Amino acid sequence: MSGFNADKLQKIDRRWLYVILIVSVAITLLVGKGTEIPVYPDDSSKDLYITLMNVPEDKPVFIQSDWTNSTRGESRGQMMALLRVLMSNNRKFVIYSMGDPQAPQVARDAIRMVNEERRKEGLDDFKSWEDYIELGNFPNAENSLNALGNNIRSAWGNRRRPDTTGVDRSVFESPVLANVQKVSDCGAYVVVTASSTIDFAVERISDKVNLNAMVTGVVGPTVLPYKRAGQVKGLAIGLKGVYDMEYMMKYGLNHQLEGGVIKVDYPQKPEVSLPPVPNGQTFGQGATNYLSLHIALGLMILAIILGNVGMFVGRKGGKK
Amino acid sequence: MITNLLSLGWDVNPTDPNKWFIILGVMLAGGVGAFLLSKAPTSSRRSIIVAFTFVSGLFWVLKYLWPEPIAFREGDVPRNGIEGFGKYLTDGVPFVSTLAQTLTAFLLGLGIFSLLRVHLTKISRKQKDWQFSVILLISLVTVCFFGYWDWILFNFRMKDVLVSDDPSTWTWVNQVQDILFDGLLQNMDAAMFSLIAFFIFSAAYRAFRIRSVESSLLMVSALIVMLSLMGALTFVWNSAVLQASGGNPVHFLSNFRLDTIAGWVQSNVQVPALRALEFGVGLGALAMGLRLWLGLERGGVSQ
Repeated sequence: MSGFNADKLQKIDRRWLYVILIVSVAITLLVGKGTEIPVYPDDSSKDLYITLMNVPEDKPVFIQSDWTNSTRGESRGQMMALLRVLMSNNRKFVIYSMGDPQAPQVARDAIRMVNEERRKEGLDDFKSWEDYIELGNFPNAENSLNALGNNIRSAWGNRRRPDTTGVDRSVFESPVLANVQKVSDCGAYVVVTASSTIDFAVERISDKVNLNAMVTGVVGPTVLPYKRAGQVKGLAIGLKGVYDMEYMMKYGLNHQLEGGVIKVDYPQKPEVSLPPVPNGQTFGQGATNYLSLHIALGLMILAIILGNVGMFVGRKGGKK
Repeated sequence: MITNLLSLGWDVNPTDPNKWFIILGVMLAGGVGAFLLSKAPTSSRRSIIVAFTFVSGLFWVLKYLWPEPIAFREGDVPRNGIEGFGKYLTDGVPFVSTLAQTLTAFLLGLGIFSLLRVHLTKISRKQKDWQFSVILLISLVTVCFFGYWDWILFNFRMKDVLVSDDPSTWTWVNQVQDILFDGLLQNMDAAMFSLIAFFIFSAAYRAFRIRSVESSLLMVSALIVMLSLMGALTFVWNSAVLQASGGNPVHFLSNFRLDTIAGWVQSNVQVPALRALEFGVGLGALAMGLRLWLGLERGGVSQ
């Protein structure tokens, strides 16, 4: 009897597994939208938040956006969280891609979505040319980063964008890049990627800029050695990284909320105290998808346990 | 001469009214160059490619090994030949990078050429699944056609009317382009990638079995990392640990926080293993790079 059951446990039809996964995740996505889950953000996410909240007012943030829609579950949430922090603190940014040619369009879409959120909340739009510059795609990441590190004025010298009156001008005439003479003049450098373009950034410019990364769960482990070595200062990994950022945007870091409560503490850096973001939306895609991640991981763990229980019971039955 | 011509394609002044002719000229020159190379005698082909590869690689080798003057500012004059050559190399980086980017852009054309050749051959010979090739080529032409039309409308013909963030200003061409790119391509891209979740789920169920000490260790570490990704569970676990340790964050029991255990696994097991792998890959890449640079590699186009 036990052998029969064990065999069944070991050979669940994969179609049933697929149905259970899709139904559970879909229901959670619909019902659990925006659910706030208490978390302990990772130290690497905290370091990223520290970097972004401390960008000097007169220095733009360089965003290398190399993701496409294939990883939008993680990357778009990361991108939007990053944009929200910067826009909320009124920090200018430059955005460009060195990976897939589709990447500039998905980045533009993310900017548009965050601007829409801001409009709904009665906040000002972030305007192209005045508040940010979008430079498009640069083929060959390794070579482009090399050129950027060597001489930014030469690397981006021919890029032109319409100013507020619609006249095409050199991007270095915009308020965003006017004071930038070399790559180290940026306030922070953030790579949002689902591929190895972060490796090139580490190789070519990590000694010149404050390099940070927002990467997918798959790429995350390969970036950890750079984080441990100090070549990457802040790092958000996967959906957990998105939710970490959103959580800190809402509750700050080492920051006393009303009633003296500190929701997110960083015992290793007690001297740091950062408030929540001053305005705009905090919870977004991270909060929407995080509960689904719990369900998916929970189901996977359950499936592994079932398979192993089946195997052990089956072996025991066989011995008898 | 050829390299100057090629780099013009990237370095052209965007305000130059002749830019389109220059770009077209460079593309034609590049095409002619590629054609001539393909017609070169097989015996001389290898020498040409090895020579180009060596000169290209030599620039970067010298750039990284040659001593560079430190704190060298715009307008400073080199004090001696060593500094002068270092400055010459540094000044050459934008040009060489430009050339490399132009060549990379040519690869896109090469990719399209290869795609067309493979699939047109398949269609003309009615090989297996030739219908899919027809769909692929129709999709390619349609997306290119509407993509360029959309670009021309936005940048030239209706520059003052169309607003990229305001679909109410768009023409039907822009709408079709939006449906093709944002509506179809992007969503299919996301759908394809999301299928991986099902395979991972099924594979984890079938393959993650405790059959040996090694597989047990692997599974325990994987479980710890997976559990640590579940914020709610980590929160409950850690709160219990904190309570057991009397609220003292430096108590011995604090080592058993889920995120601390997962962090230990990552820092002391995963990261060293990855470093070791990357050292191996790096050494292999260095050896392969040297072989390619010196023309010792027999395979590929140099054969």
